Amino acid sequence: MYLVNDIIAFLAANLILSQALGTSSLFIAAQSRKNLTGIAFCIMLFTTFGTGCAYIVDSVLPFGASEFRLLLYTAAVSVFYILLLVLLYFARPGDYAQLRKYVHLSAFNCAVMGTLFTMSGKAEEDSSLMSFGEYVRFGFEAGLGFIAAALILTAAYRRLNSSKVPQSFRGGPAMLIYIGIISMAVWSLK
Amino acid sequence: MNERKGSVFDGIAADNPVLSGLMVISPVIICGDTIKNAQALIWAFSVITFLSVLISSFVPKELPYTLRVMTCALISSTIYVPVRAAAEEVYPDAIARIGIYFPLLAVNSLIVFQSETRFFRMGRLRMTASLFFYILGFDLVMLITAVIRELLAYGTINSRIADVDVLISGLGEPFGGFIFLGLMCGLYRKLRISLKSSRSAEKGDMNVSGK
Repeated sequence: MYLVNDIIAFLAANLILSQALGTSSLFIAAQSRKNLTGIAFCIMLFTTFGTGCAYIVDSVLPFGASEFRLLLYTAAVSVFYILLLVLLYFARPGDYAQLRKYVHLSAFNCAVMGTLFTMSGKAEEDSSLMSFGEYVRFGFEAGLGFIAAALILTAAYRRLNSSKVPQSFRGGPAMLIYIGIISMAVWSLK
Repeated sequence: MNERKGSVFDGIAADNPVLSGLMVISPVIICGDTIKNAQALIWAFSVITFLSVLISSFVPKELPYTLRVMTCALISSTIYVPVRAAAEEVYPDAIARIGIYFPLLAVNSLIVFQSETRFFRMGRLRMTASLFFYILGFDLVMLITAVIRELLAYGTINSRIADVDVLISGLGEPFGGFIFLGLMCGLYRKLRISLKSSRSAEKGDMNVSGK
């Protein structure tokens, strides 16, 4: 029973199903297993590292200067963006051309930036969450949530893009309605 | 349809950023349930996107792609600062309601990624006109979505009670937003396909009569 509760809590906290963050990237990730692995892994890296940086930004940002938060988050993500590309260039020179597109897609994504802002908002409401560990844990879980949502969509991707679906609803519209139905199911479990 | 490809008006209908490109859909799904939210989002999106793309177009094309994307994101994040301060004056309640979707408008894919493939390949005058109509395309979808969802979910229009018999409260929830946008995208495509086939039928008739 605890496991079921945990699964429900995990799905209910999913940023895609509950907040529609990173939906466009999800559609790209669901196209193939290769895309899914690449994009999901990159997004998880960005959310995990990004939330770590968000903690530092939130700790030093003076009260009343919240409008600068986005600029500082963007700067932090930019640093990681370059670091990740440099790391890939030296670690996987053969696959660099292939892998860098996933990094480009993930860097300034709604899923990543939304995770940072969501965690920041949670920490503002509950001061016990204002720790580096909590921030990074939330970022990692958000990345896992993206993978879960991408897997749910991948399972139906071919059918939603098949010729059996009316031409006007094939692909994007059908996927939006499909995510809507999954989101409704998760919402009803809350 | 081919004749209209590449037109500066594409952003409104032929290549609408939301309905065709599925870009910037998060705020439409989550915050597009009332006209008041829509007004604040439309204002912020229009100002941030227009200024960001316009200023970013001056970033040298010789710079590597990564640096250009980063610069675009940093420019839009900087523009967000005064826009947010102004929004607090103009729409004081909206900031709290819209929450995280307000700053996320500044790093939307139309600014960060699509500007490279769509706008920066055009001349500056054409780019400005095209950008204006892409923004208008988003604004129209946002407004239409908000009007219909507010009416059907809450039975109001801009917070004024309207005479609606049946309310669908789920339309005000995120899942309602997903489903509604999916239906709108489907309808939009259906209209485009019908328009395309009627045009090609007209062409065929003209060819036959021309013979």
